[in-house]
Amino acid sequence: MSFLKVALSNLRRNPVRSLLTGLSLAVSAATLSVVLSLDQGYSSAVTDDLVNNTGVHLYITKEGCPIEAASVIAQGGLSPLYVEEDIVTRIQGMPELDAVMPFKLFAVTTDDGSRTDIFMGVTEAVRSIKPDWRFAAGGWFTSDDSVILGAEMARIEYLAVGDRMYSEHFDREFVVSGLLERNYSQDDGTFFLPLHTAQAMVGREGKLSAVAIKLNDISNMDYIQTRLRAMMPPDYFIIGSKELSDGILEFFGATRAIMFVMVAVAFVISVFGIINTMLMAVLERRREIAYLKCVGAGKYDLIRLISLETAAIAVMGSTFGAAVGMLLSPLSGNLLRKFLVAYVPSGAIARPDMGIALTAFALCTFIGVACSLYPAFRAAKIVPMEVLRNE
Amino acid sequence: MNNGSVIELENVSKDYRRGSETVHALRDVSLAVTPGEYVAVVGHSGSGKTTLMNIMGCLDRPSRGRVILDGQEVHEKTEAGLTRLRRSAIGFVFQQFFLIPTLSVLENVSLPSLFVGKPSNGRAGELLEMVGLGNRLHHLPNQLSGGEMQRVAIARSLINAPPILLADEPTGNLDSRNADMIMKIFEQLNQEGVTVVVVTHNQDIVKRCRRKVHIEDGRIET
Repeated sequence: MSFLKVALSNLRRNPVRSLLTGLSLAVSAATLSVVLSLDQGYSSAVTDDLVNNTGVHLYITKEGCPIEAASVIAQGGLSPLYVEEDIVTRIQGMPELDAVMPFKLFAVTTDDGSRTDIFMGVTEAVRSIKPDWRFAAGGWFTSDDSVILGAEMARIEYLAVGDRMYSEHFDREFVVSGLLERNYSQDDGTFFLPLHTAQAMVGREGKLSAVAIKLNDISNMDYIQTRLRAMMPPDYFIIGSKELSDGILEFFGATRAIMFVMVAVAFVISVFGIINTMLMAVLERRREIAYLKCVGAGKYDLIRLISLETAAIAVMGSTFGAAVGMLLSPLSGNLLRKFLVAYVPSGAIARPDMGIALTAFALCTFIGVACSLYPAFRAAKIVPMEVLRNE
Repeated sequence: MNNGSVIELENVSKDYRRGSETVHALRDVSLAVTPGEYVAVVGHSGSGKTTLMNIMGCLDRPSRGRVILDGQEVHEKTEAGLTRLRRSAIGFVFQQFFLIPTLSVLENVSLPSLFVGKPSNGRAGELLEMVGLGNRLHHLPNQLSGGEMQRVAIARSLINAPPILLADEPTGNLDSRNADMIMKIFEQLNQEGVTVVVVTHNQDIVKRCRRKVHIEDGRIET
């Protein structure tokens, strides 16, 4: 005989009510797990794409919101912001720079909106600035009409080296010169073109989306940034890849806030559900609790008993909810990917792990037990004589 | 007043507020119960019997007067002190049995021992043997008759070996055969030295008690 045994036996009195209370906490735990997985996953995916998996340390862009530009491109548009190509020759001789990659980025969306293709015009500098940009087959552009396919595009288009690819939008045929190895970045879903071909296709000769720069020594970043800024026209930005990634994550902040509001709503519903259930359980058993006090149950015995009942529900509900959340996270990541407009990272958007599961479990269990305190104190305050006389 | 009393009430009054009205449930009651006594408290409904039992059982405090239980001054005790006193000195039996429906008979009996930190299934089993339910240890309360449930409640009231047993209408819900069985158990306990105080309307029970205390309008009538 123990307090836990008595508490568990009390839960069996109304199993449906205990189950529903546990489920309300499970919903909270699952929602929290999913949201934490998405939050952590999206941040990691964006940082991987823009910082960890690229050799780019700095970008030169035109003044304006780079996030807005990314959004325009992602939706199949052409960014109104561009930098002049001649700046490349101005900075190329700087000894502190390991590589300078000018690029032109644009996207084309089909009329029915079902597909968006991303095109990137590059020079050979891409090979030194992107460490994992390696050919699985074929090689560099052989002519102005050459195209190199990212691994995913090669799979979707079912094309091999030497095959011809027709672009209906541009009414132009390309020859596949190379296929890239999969590197789990945005490169997988990109068509790479010679820089000048890409510029001509959108009527922006001599214009670049941005210039990507790899430094010899990253500790010089601030100094180089200051020097480059001095060399550039006043309406040009020198932005670090980390700043760019932080900017995108800041843009994601609104979505993040909505997700956490959902979690908060789920918690509020659970809190009221648990308090209501435990209060009902206490009120239904007033006479029995009064009797327990008669036979020597102290205030803390009753608080312990009611808290253990709630803790048992909370542990079961939170465990189940955290497990379901872990299973649902990848699905919700795929769902979120369809609605993201600012920046869709190439890696997994939801990244569930044991830490998230434990956080969701611990927080929901804590909230569950905390909710028991009011009903438990109500039970402890029952005056046996009044209950036994009046009820 | 007898200094060897196990229960001693000295000029005890108890007033309640009911709306704007003050109810005088007990008026200047003095009573001493010595160890090993078998007392019936009788009176009409509303005469103050239950209030008297609640005060004797430390479930309520008097408005005025002194209560000494098992040698300890009740009015000096904190709420926690009264709880400890109830645990060690008093066993309660009510008209309703208050058994926990999801615990077995054995677990119900040993439940009060949990609150003293010494859960004892062994003693619970012995007590159930004593009340004739040794073969029903693992049954649930809903598998028992009313008389059996009251016998479980009696066994439970004795788990912490209290010197005093307070019973409020213990046979009120039972037929005459079961009521007789319960009274025999009380008599046996009394013979073993337990002080038994029974609040009742039942004249058959009153006749079997060795002392009768009649209460009317909150006063003990001699």
